[in-house]
Amino acid sequence: MSRPGWTEVAAGRPPGSGARSLAYVSPEGDLALWNDHEEHRTLLVRRPELSAEERAVLGNWRAGRSGPAVVSVGEQVHGYGVFTFPYGPVAMGVAEAGGFEVRTYGERILEIEPSVGHKRRGIEEQVVGKTVEDAALWIERRAGPFALSHAAAFRFAAESAAGRPVAERELGVRALGQELQRIYNHLHVLARLAEAASQNVGAAQLNALAESALRALGATFGHRWGFGALVPGAPGRRLDAPDRTDLEARLRRLGSEFEALGETLLGSRTFLDRIQSTGTVSTEDALRWGAVGPTLRASSVAWDDRLRDPTIPYREMFVPVVTERAGDALARVLVRREEVRGSLLLIEQLLDRWPRLGGGEAAPVEAIEPGRGIARGEGPSGDLVYDVRVSEGRIRSVASRTPSQANWPLVALSLRGAVFTDFAFSFESFGASFAETDG
Amino acid sequence: MIGGAGLLLLLAIAALFGGAPLALVDRRLGYAATFLGSVLLVIAALAALDAGPFTALSWTGVVGEPEALHLDALSGFFALAAGLVWGATSSYSLAYDTGPGRSLAVAYALTLGAIAVLFSTSDWLLFLAAWETMTLAAYWMILEAVGRPLRIFSAAFVFLAFGEASTILVALAIAGLYDGTGSFAMTSPIAGPMVSVVFVAALVGFGLKMGVAPFHMSEWLPIAHSSAPSNASAVLSSTLTLAGVYGLFRVVALLPDGPSWWGALLLTIGAISALLGALFAAVSEHAKGLPAYSTIENNGLILVALGISLIARSDGLPALAAFALFAAFFQALAHAVTKAALFLFAGDVERSVHTLDLSRTRGGTKAADPVASGAGVLAALSLAAAPPLAGFVSEWMILEALFQSFRFPQAWLQFTGLLAGAVVALAAGLVLVAMVKFVGFAALYRPVRPPNAERPRGLRAPIAGLTVLVAALGVLSPWILTALAPTVSAFEGARTAAPVGSLLAIPSGWSILSGSPSGFFGIISPPALLLAFAIGSLPALAYFALGRRGAERRVPAWSGGRAAPPPSETYTSFGYSTGLRLMLSGFLGTREVRRASSPGVSAEIATPLSYDVDLEVLDVFKSFYDALVRLVLWAAEGTKRAIMPGRIGRYLTYILLTVLVVIVYVAAAFPGP
Repeated sequence: MSRPGWTEVAAGRPPGSGARSLAYVSPEGDLALWNDHEEHRTLLVRRPELSAEERAVLGNWRAGRSGPAVVSVGEQVHGYGVFTFPYGPVAMGVAEAGGFEVRTYGERILEIEPSVGHKRRGIEEQVVGKTVEDAALWIERRAGPFALSHAAAFRFAAESAAGRPVAERELGVRALGQELQRIYNHLHVLARLAEAASQNVGAAQLNALAESALRALGATFGHRWGFGALVPGAPGRRLDAPDRTDLEARLRRLGSEFEALGETLLGSRTFLDRIQSTGTVSTEDALRWGAVGPTLRASSVAWDDRLRDPTIPYREMFVPVVTERAGDALARVLVRREEVRGSLLLIEQLLDRWPRLGGGEAAPVEAIEPGRGIARGEGPSGDLVYDVRVSEGRIRSVASRTPSQANWPLVALSLRGAVFTDFAFSFESFGASFAETDG
Repeated sequence: MIGGAGLLLLLAIAALFGGAPLALVDRRLGYAATFLGSVLLVIAALAALDAGPFTALSWTGVVGEPEALHLDALSGFFALAAGLVWGATSSYSLAYDTGPGRSLAVAYALTLGAIAVLFSTSDWLLFLAAWETMTLAAYWMILEAVGRPLRIFSAAFVFLAFGEASTILVALAIAGLYDGTGSFAMTSPIAGPMVSVVFVAALVGFGLKMGVAPFHMSEWLPIAHSSAPSNASAVLSSTLTLAGVYGLFRVVALLPDGPSWWGALLLTIGAISALLGALFAAVSEHAKGLPAYSTIENNGLILVALGISLIARSDGLPALAAFALFAAFFQALAHAVTKAALFLFAGDVERSVHTLDLSRTRGGTKAADPVASGAGVLAALSLAAAPPLAGFVSEWMILEALFQSFRFPQAWLQFTGLLAGAVVALAAGLVLVAMVKFVGFAALYRPVRPPNAERPRGLRAPIAGLTVLVAALGVLSPWILTALAPTVSAFEGARTAAPVGSLLAIPSGWSILSGSPSGFFGIISPPALLLAFAIGSLPALAYFALGRRGAERRVPAWSGGRAAPPPSETYTSFGYSTGLRLMLSGFLGTREVRRASSPGVSAEIATPLSYDVDLEVLDVFKSFYDALVRLVLWAAEGTKRAIMPGRIGRYLTYILLTVLVVIVYVAAAFPGP
């Protein structure tokens, strides 16, 4: 079950006392993953013992499983004139069916609790009993913008459960899809932030760029969000030479436009004023509450699952890992900007070596033996974990921990003490999604 | 021989004072007597304004000075304002004062009697006696808070301390007047080197009672912090401060044209008071503290108008001087009546919802009595200067006077006037915030509780009556100003015409002109405004009258797509003004205070840490006085320890030394035969 590069620990607490953060706990509690930030490795612990703080972290990951609930970071504020301001679940400004409970005495956010679980579809429960291929189609529809990272992690987990190796070419397809989707997501977050700051020209241009990223995805995989892209035999997966040339041309154009736009946007005083020192996340909080992705890296923790988990051929390519120190919205913007550049670089390397990638067309997973697999992947907003059990070719159980679930406590902490107008700048910079959380 | 009006005045004073012994028999009897006295006082004052000054009684005082009870146009005006207010507060008290004791009624009657004597005396000695009686009686009223929690004594002491400081300074001013004129009569003008001392002593002494900066805690602290009874609050805030205004005007009327810094000083103190009062009113959470702060603002405006008038007078601008004086008098009258209405309404809030925290009133007053609630809204609108109410007219007049400070000859005076104008305009904006907050949360909030069944009946009529007066004062202001002409003439010592006239199609006498020798500067016509409002709202009224029926649809309030919101999600008045607290944190010294209300938990996160949070604002002047009090206490403690250590030997030494000194003194001063 353990993957290459993971360190397995028999029972109890993970060894050592260095900086580490909880990455996953199975629903049965029989297995947990920790990120060891000293040794830069994933620790897999069986029959783990969780501290009280870690149980609180776990409670937040599981919030909203049985109806609407709030993600709480353990503080209650009372006082004369203090009231709760409910923002959502149906409100302007929050694009999804999710809300926030803001405790305030007016103007300033004393405490904020994301309210999740308003639109839970129960995808993980519904796929039980389906074939892996059918289940994958459900799983990737959990949250459109993150479809490919969910599909890839789910497939890796299922393949690991079935004990089946994955061909190099298939690894390349998954990496390409995920990097394209990362570019789209980062551009989308930047556009939302520019919109919040009323940088209307910049926002329109960023939205146009994000759209061109979606079109590149669609031209390559036959679907704008990459739905069905990883299904064996799906269209557009061969990526013949003309397709690659077309994609390279699209991305080159996108890259040069993004460079110019990034310079302009980050040269705008009004924009910088709004995001600098807004929504700060300290390194301690990030590690304690299990932050992932750009959120974690913007708080000066160099963790990128693409480096830790060699399931996708990142090891052979140059993966730039970007960190920032400040931990504020600006730091997250800078990290995302660098990651757009990094993804463009990765895709270039990948397309270069495309003809040399071995292995034929992928085949559907048909597990006969009962098995369990856990896989991680680095999605646009952070790493995600899928824990899949299969037997007789059918899904027996699926469990996951998504980047949005992990980052909500940091959204809440970053807004503490902020004024209302900071809300959009902090919230959008995390790229957290209610649909991904609810499942 | 006592004339009819004189007899009325005597009867009025007798009835007001007589309320005290009658209240010992029956509280209601006392209030009935003060009501009667107030009505008589109003009639007597109207006689003085209409037919000229009269003397009710004259005698020779203890030091041989001629004493008299009389009313002239100046004192008649103040007596009229006070009488109008007292009529309402006395009838209100009949329903309001249901406390266990009778002492509140006694103190109330004594305060009213003292102020009536203060207005009708013709010499400074009796004035001083009335002033001191008024202070002590008001102190007693403040002590009569419901339940008398221990902490209120400190607030009452603050009132007493400021009151006594005021008496000392007023006595100083009177001594200066006597020194200059050799007479205690209120009619002897003074000249000579002492005039500036008299002016400053009078300004500070009477300013203490008016509650202007930097003495404003003498106004808000006893009212807001002690929860003094609301009938007392109304009397304190609208007529006790009016006594201060009267005293100041009386003294200034006797002074010659002074240097221009007099007016500039008045402008500065007035503008600062207006801004401070408005700012703290906007962030106040107390249904009586907020109007109390607003009193500071309004008294500041009176000083501003007087300042403009003094500067204009000494710089040879008689038209502007007269206009500013009319503004000052109208402001004093409008404020007294309006503020009394607002305090009576605050008392209604207190009786209806049993709280004075604006964040907790939750529209209980509207549920209990929509008429009283509407009257409260109207009074607050007047203080927020909504046309065509009384507050609007006075605010307009004062700003118009300030706009004309460009006529002053010296550049620094122009600049001071300009600055004061900007500050007063800012204060007017802040008062709007304060009053919207007050009526929004105390009166207009959708009721969330059933009305309080124990709310006494009879609270409605006095509030509504005063509010009708507020509206009438505003709409009929051109005629009121005309009636004020004798008062301003009495102050100026020369015949002065009211600044009313005509323009366009508006009939003559319907408009107020902020005039100048070369024609009018600004113009407003409250009656025409009212007409325009009435005509303009006809289509809307017709639409609602004809088309609204049947088209009404009621739906539950939208709450983000969830079920009806719980009470914890209702917006608070505190939240309404937090924007100001944070934006003006430099002025307000805003800081957030957090106290852990459950023991801090770090090991077991499952029981979260709970905080009590408070966003405190700080009055720098209050911290100055706090420091002063600490210094005095520290010095007193040190002195006590130094000379009274509790050792018998030391005390015996003191006695022996004293005896020795006495023997030496006697031996030296009274040599033997």
